Order: sequence, then structure tokens, then C-alpha cells
Amino acid sequence: MEALMTWLEAQLADNSIFTLQTLGYYGEGLVTTVQLVALSLIIGLVMAVPLAIGRGSKHRWISLPIFLYCYVFRGTPLLVQLYLIYYGVVFVEGIQETWLWVILEKPFVPALIAFTLNTAAYTTEIFRGAIKSTARGEIEAARAYGMSRGLMLRRIVLPSAFRRALPAYGNEVIFMLHASAIASVVTIMDLTGAARFVYARYYAPFDAFLFVAAIYLCLTFAILYLFRYLERRLLAHLKPASG
Amino acid sequence: MADTPIPLEVRDITKRFGDTEVLKGLSLKAHKGDVITLIGASGSGKSTFLRCMNLLEQPDEGDLIVHGEEIRFKQTRHGREPADWKQVVRMRAKLSMVFQSFNLWAHMTLLENVIEAPVHVLGKPKKEAIAHARQLLERVGLGEHADYYPAQMSGGQQQRGAIARALAMDPEVMLFDEPTSALDPELVGDVLKVMRDLAQEGRTMIVVTHEMAFARDVSSQVIYLHQGRVEEAGPPEEVLGNPRSERLKQFLAPKH
Amino acid sequence: MIDLHGYGPRLAEGALITIELAVLSLILAIVLGLLTASAKMSRNWVAHRIGTLYTTVIRGVPDLVLMMLMFFGGQIGINMVTDQLYERFGWDLFINVNEFVAGVITIGLIFGAYMGETFRGAFLAVDSGQIEAGRAYGMNHWLVFQRIRFPQMMRHAIPGLSNNWMVLLKTTALVSVIGLTDMVRVAAEASKATREPFTFMIIVAAVYLLIATVSEWGFARLQKRYDVGYREAD
Repeated sequence: MEALMTWLEAQLADNSIFTLQTLGYYGEGLVTTVQLVALSLIIGLVMAVPLAIGRGSKHRWISLPIFLYCYVFRGTPLLVQLYLIYYGVVFVEGIQETWLWVILEKPFVPALIAFTLNTAAYTTEIFRGAIKSTARGEIEAARAYGMSRGLMLRRIVLPSAFRRALPAYGNEVIFMLHASAIASVVTIMDLTGAARFVYARYYAPFDAFLFVAAIYLCLTFAILYLFRYLERRLLAHLKPASG
Repeated sequence: MADTPIPLEVRDITKRFGDTEVLKGLSLKAHKGDVITLIGASGSGKSTFLRCMNLLEQPDEGDLIVHGEEIRFKQTRHGREPADWKQVVRMRAKLSMVFQSFNLWAHMTLLENVIEAPVHVLGKPKKEAIAHARQLLERVGLGEHADYYPAQMSGGQQQRGAIARALAMDPEVMLFDEPTSALDPELVGDVLKVMRDLAQEGRTMIVVTHEMAFARDVSSQVIYLHQGRVEEAGPPEEVLGNPRSERLKQFLAPKH
Repeated sequence: MIDLHGYGPRLAEGALITIELAVLSLILAIVLGLLTASAKMSRNWVAHRIGTLYTTVIRGVPDLVLMMLMFFGGQIGINMVTDQLYERFGWDLFINVNEFVAGVITIGLIFGAYMGETFRGAFLAVDSGQIEAGRAYGMNHWLVFQRIRFPQMMRHAIPGLSNNWMVLLKTTALVSVIGLTDMVRVAAEASKATREPFTFMIIVAAVYLLIATVSEWGFARLQKRYDVGYREAD
């Protein structure tokens, strides 16, 4: 570790902007971005499964509210949703006196709520599309073999829908990574926040933003390759055998 | 014989799609070991009739008795529905169906397809189900293909796999819905051979088919349907060898 | 009635800026998209590489980062160029980067990459026999493009185009961060000043939904027009 530090210091010796300190900002920003994106994706994913099932319900009192939720959250900018929740929370009368304020004081929680609600809406639509495109014959076979609705959903519909949803969900993950950049607008020191800070301090837009762009690019590629790998493993069954 | 209940009995089934009546009072009794083939032009209602037998379609009237147990129905706003879906699930597990388009579950390997319903519907131990499934795959000539996904197999292989899946349920009656119609001509033979073997070992089968040679050689009874009614029924030598109605004669006449 | 605390007219102006920004960026994005698609499909090695680099980099970096790079870096970059011009040739130029122009260029540049992918897919979906038939009747390259490839491509491109437009529309909200007074910025200011975020943010959300719903309807009509001749086949 120490050797690495001295090496880094040597590398950074004749560099006025990328000092160990600024690299530290970027490092912390990376951690914040990854935390924010990963948490919202995981919670959103968990929410999206029952929502997608409910979205296809015959009962309008179940499907209609879910439809409206998806329509609103997919039809408006994430920034507006973030402002609504961020300012909405801050300006609630008397909230600063309650215990809730301890968590809500930091912008991380409102941002997490906004991101989660947003990705859950998109993921719900992705899953719904995948569930709807389940081959009719496969459902019929499940019924003909005596499966109940619940068993069919659990064993046939959802497993095949999840696999089919994988490419679209991969795009959603990348979309969330990029969208998370707006967290910096509500003073969160994520990757973009770090870049803005470095820019403001050294007035060096190219260095500050190109560097962070490169980090985002690497993260994007990492996600892309992860999903390609998953697709190769989990979607093998859809490709005809070679030879 | 009198003690064991009849595997499947269907009485006076009618079915309407909107204003058109597609089944106009059809009955059928399948004794143990019977091979009943349903023939008829497209639109005659033969597939719908078969699908009514395991309630993939809901008949508007008529009774269904599976292994001595009569299915109970109730009237709802949407028409007639089974009164007890648990009963339907139990009954479907006794009648296993082979589809025209195979309908193997695409996200499972062939072996997983075969053990799926025995394990999760019948509650069979997984080990036992796998052992049984391997035997069945061997029987239909797919012993080597257990770990293939459906998309990696030819249509004929998929259909033989689907037959193994049906057999794994130890069904009282096997329902075949035009099992060779979606296959390339050169693949039909393998599937028919498996079906002939099943008939010979005494399986109770109800088969909707266009394969007249199969109907003639294998079935114990042939039913010719026309516009939702039984036009002629009886042993194959009678119905196919000596058709009485003009329509059946035309239907059986070599095309061109 | 909802009390807008006098922010009504400014919100309306902001909405107008949002729409102008979105439409102008869309036009730029379509032009860039067509160029990129041609570059990526071209047999020219350099053009192909440039097209691929452009779409990969743009789609790999957050919109907001690109926007800040353009906006904060743009002025410095231009100043550097004008300084050079002054030193070498004695030309005294002063170009001021206006937020609106920077916004249009950045959003257009970002969505040009997405449009490029949409158009490329759509061009590839056109049956090559159709193009051959055009050539066989003596049409030149341009005529084939104009009369056969483009109209047929559009049929395949409209779903993607519509999708890109919806995303683009929402992306315009980001210009409020770099200082352009679109409706989101007005609403954010009003929220802070009046401490009534719900009133203003919900109005803004409703305007976005309205624009999205109207354009969805418009795209459906457009699709119908380009679907002529394919209807019976479905």
C-alpha cells in the first residue's frame, strides 16, 4: 500500500490538479455513486416483480394505479422527481424536530427514494413486457399439466420472463448509472459532484470532466460485459445449437 | 373390468365461440387401452373437442368424468366454470396432453421439462423423477439429449421429448392434438413410431390426427367429426374401410 | 385556484424554452443520426471508426457530464481557439457561448448518437431486393436513397425515433442545472422561494406528461402514414 502511494505521488509530482487529495474526492465520489445506484437498483428490482404481476391483473383497481405510477414516473424527468422529493421532504412542516430528520437531513435518502421509485417504474414495464411475451403454448402446457396459477407463475412464466428481460434490464442499469449524475445537483458528492468540485476549485473543466467521463465509460463497459456474460449463460437456451 | 372406473367419459359436450356453435353435443367413452382417433376437416371441431376434455376450453354444456370422478361446474357471470379448480388440477394431472407445437418450456433443458410437472405438481421426489425421466427419454430415443434446450433440437426430437414429458405423469389417458402436423415430412415417422409403441403397450390414447394410416392401423375406434357433430364412428375397418356418408367418402378420397 | 405566487408567466416562458430546446435538439440529432448511420454503414474505414467512437463514447457517459463539459469547457475551448487566431493572424474574434445554443448542441450531439443506432438498424431492416429493384430501373444512388430507402427505413425507425424523443424531452430538464431558465429551473426557484415544492413540481411534471402524451399520439399517426402498404400483411 505504501509503495503504491509513493508511486502514485511520483506519478502526480508535476501535476497541479490531480493530486492525491483530488483523487481522493473522485474515489469517495465513486463509492457514493456505486452505493446510490446499487441500492436503488436492488430495491427497485424487488418492487418491480410484484408490480409487474399486478400490472397485468384483471382487476382494474390493481392494474390502474400501477399503470398510472409507471406512466408518471416514466413520463417525467428524474430531476423533477428528485426536486419534488428533496424539497418536499425538506419543507414539510415540523419535520426538523422529529427523529426522521436524522436520516432525511442528508440528501442521500431523498435521492435514493427518487432513484428507486424511478427505476422501479421502468423495471416494472420491462418485466411486464417480458411476462406478456411468454409463449402462449408454454402457458397452455403448464395448465394442461395441472399447474395452479401460482405454480405456473413461479416455475414457468417468471423464470423465462426474467431471462428475456435481461438485455433490456442491462440498459436500465446503465441508464441509472448515468442518471445518478444528477445527485450532484442536490449537493451529493457523487462522481459528478467530485468533478464539479474539482472544476470549481481549479477552473479546469477539461481535466475535471474528461477524467470523470472516463470513469463513467469504464463503469458502463463493466456493466455491459457483465450483462453480456449473463446473457450468454442464461439465454443459451434460445439459441439453436451450432452443428 | 367392471370394478375399475372408466378412464375418461365425456357426455354431450357443447361449445360456442360467440354466436357460432362449434361443438353440438359430442360424447365419447375411453376404456382402458382404447386408442380413439378423431378425424375431420379443419374447422370440424376436433381440436376444440380434445381441448374441452382437459378444460383448456370450457364447454358450455356437458359432463366430464375422469376416472369415475365427475367434474363439478358452476354458473358465473362469464359463463360456466369449474366449481373447484383444485379438482381440475387433479384431473389434468391424470390426462396429459401432447401439443401440435410441442410447447416444451424453452428455459428448461429437456430433462427439466420432463421432471417439472411430476416434481412440482405431483410432488414426486426429484431423484425418483430424474431416474424415471431418463428411462423415458431413452425410450423415445433421446437418451443423449437430456441436457439440450428445446431450441437446440429438431421438431421431431422436441415432439418425442414432449411425449416423454407426457408419459412422466403416468397419465390415465394421453391426449394428442395433431402431434405431427407441425413437423417436416421426414420427421413424422419417428414420432408416429413412438405413438404406435405406446398404443401397443396398452396406453389409453385420444388422438386428433390427419395421419390416416395411423388411424387405420392403430386405433380401436375412429370418430369422424363434421361441423361439430359425430358423422360416423366405429372401428377403423368400418369407418375408414367402408364409409357410408358421402362427406366421409370425399374426405378420405386421395386428393387430386 | 392554485396560487402560483406570481410565477405563472415565468413558468410559461420556461415551458416555451423547454419546447424550443427539445425541438431544435431533435432536428440536430436527426441530422447527426443520419450522418452517423451512413458513416457506420460505409465501407470507408475511417468513417466507420469515427462513427463507432462517437456512438460508444457518447452513450457511455452521463448526459449531465457531457453537458457540463460542453458548457463549462466550451467557452474556454473557444477562447483558446480565438486567442490562437489573434496571435497568429491578428483576427480579433469574440464568440460568447450562449446557454441556449450550448444546450441545443449538447443535447443534439448526445441524441445524434442514439439516433444513429436507430437509423442504422432501420436501414438494415430494409429488404435489399427493394434497393436492387431501384438500381435495376436505372435510379442513381441518391434517387434510391430518396425514393426507396428513406421512406422504407422510416417505417422501421419511427418506434425508435419516438422513444428517443421521449428521452430527449426529459433530458432537456438538465439544462436547468447549467443555468438555462427552462421550466424546471423556474419551478426549482419558486419551490425554494415559496416553500411549496409540490405546487410547482407537479405543474412541471404535468406539462411534461402533456407534451409526451401529445407527441405519442403524433408518432402513432406518423407510423400509420409510413405503414401504408404493409397493413394487409399483418
